Amino acid sequence: MKLRYPQWTKPYLLIAPALALAVLFSYRPFVLTVLNSLYTVSLSGKRITFIGFDNYIRLFANPSFQASLYNTLRFTLFFVPINITICLSAALLSNRPGRLATLNQIFFFLPMAVSLSSSMMILKMMFNPSIGIINQLLHLDVQWFNNRHAAMALLVFAGVGLDIGLNFLLLSAALRNVPTDLLEVARIEGANSVQTFRYLQGPLISSTLLFVVVTNIKDAMLISSPVMILTEGGPFRSTQTLVYQMYLEGFKSGNYAIGSTIATVVFTLTFSILLLLLHLERRRVYYQ
Amino acid sequence: MKRLTAVVATLFSLAVVFPIAYSISASFFQWADFTAIPARLLPSVPTFDNYRRAFSESNLLVFLSNSLYSALVGTVVRMTISILGAYAFTFFSFKGKNFFFILIVATMLLPPDALILENYTTIRTLRLTDTYLGIISTTLLAPTHLFMLRQYFLTVSREYREAAVLEGCSDSRFLTTLLIPISKAVIITLAIHSFSTIFNDYLWPLLVTNREMMRTVQVGLTMLGFSENLDYGPQFAAITLLMSPILITFIALHKPIQDSVSTRFTGR
Repeated sequence: MKLRYPQWTKPYLLIAPALALAVLFSYRPFVLTVLNSLYTVSLSGKRITFIGFDNYIRLFANPSFQASLYNTLRFTLFFVPINITICLSAALLSNRPGRLATLNQIFFFLPMAVSLSSSMMILKMMFNPSIGIINQLLHLDVQWFNNRHAAMALLVFAGVGLDIGLNFLLLSAALRNVPTDLLEVARIEGANSVQTFRYLQGPLISSTLLFVVVTNIKDAMLISSPVMILTEGGPFRSTQTLVYQMYLEGFKSGNYAIGSTIATVVFTLTFSILLLLLHLERRRVYYQ
Repeated sequence: MKRLTAVVATLFSLAVVFPIAYSISASFFQWADFTAIPARLLPSVPTFDNYRRAFSESNLLVFLSNSLYSALVGTVVRMTISILGAYAFTFFSFKGKNFFFILIVATMLLPPDALILENYTTIRTLRLTDTYLGIISTTLLAPTHLFMLRQYFLTVSREYREAAVLEGCSDSRFLTTLLIPISKAVIITLAIHSFSTIFNDYLWPLLVTNREMMRTVQVGLTMLGFSENLDYGPQFAAITLLMSPILITFIALHKPIQDSVSTRFTGR
């Protein structure tokens, strides 16, 4: 026994760094954030007085927060279906043999190679209303950064650009795993491509699809960096999202309590989404 | 029908790759090419001037070395922590093993972006703002890596280690001469993933660096000062420079990348 486990402390020492980091940078800040949301907090981040849910009441009455909540939900509502449609069409269209198809596939996942800040800077320049290539090429006169709807559309477009690479890879991998003999039978039986997808491919890729949908919803609710680089929440707060407002309140206005309250709302939203995933995984998905 | 699919797919994929292709092309534009009517897709006379200016008129090189350094150090520390943790959770029996394992893996449920307020306070209290350690601090724990390494280590028989220990082999020797070499493929994949995650991070480095000379390239790229003055050439040159190595890698390795996704996520 002594030989096998020379020191009982050894495993604890081995996991100590991971454990310390988990506490220091995940659990401690999480608990403090939730705690801060129940207090008034000084500029230096010290909790002063316990005020219960007053921060939440103030927050939900705050027009800026209402705008953030509305924008985040609106963004999620537009982004998720559009993104899924685009990524799934890309995966379906390029799911065929041949060299041209391989080239199509490479093009579809190539955006994954571009970092977030690079791709946002590219879009910022391409969509510049006066000298950007998009307006010039399409003969448009859209004020992408000064029009509420255009700015939101741009943000959705940016989100798709960021996600298409990975989503495409996941979905096309799932499609390639659909057994070819089943597809062959469907073809011989005279099923068209819509029927093949509806009754064969769709059900067989449902677990991957569900994973993609749920991570998309989660990412959409947490969107902040693209807003920061592209639109800075404007025009007139029309693209200000929850995490972006949290950043503004915490780092620009020094309003720690409100920032922490928004963070707690965000935690609650993401937890609910993840619980929904677990629930759906158990009940609805068809596994082979 | 087949031909139509091919045509639609090709047009669609060209649209997806257009921003990347345009950026590369525009990095060789002359200033007048951006305002030409009708709009230009290719440079009139290709010029390398933008690349020269991107380096000489900004601190791009400093930003780049900050990023490379922090991503390299971050990856090494992060992999070490993950490997040691996974090793303990696979080959040792100890009190509270499952509890601690779940405790570490469950941090995946806490979105890092929503924790930035408190994490920033921690880093400020520790006086780590504007340091490399501050930049990499929140990325050092990778619960997914620890989890995946443990899954892999579990396929290695526990008897190997027991035999090795009976023969008088130390844990560090077992790790470096047996376990790490046989897990090379997984470790390299995760290390590449770590490197690109830390290298591409934007929000956290933005918060913890105030001094220009400490900025990482992802943050610095948005503040080069070119695009604000509609001076797009050098900005596109900087972006092209940054993305080219990864683009080339992706194109060269497209087959293994697609295959690794297919086996990792669908379990076959």
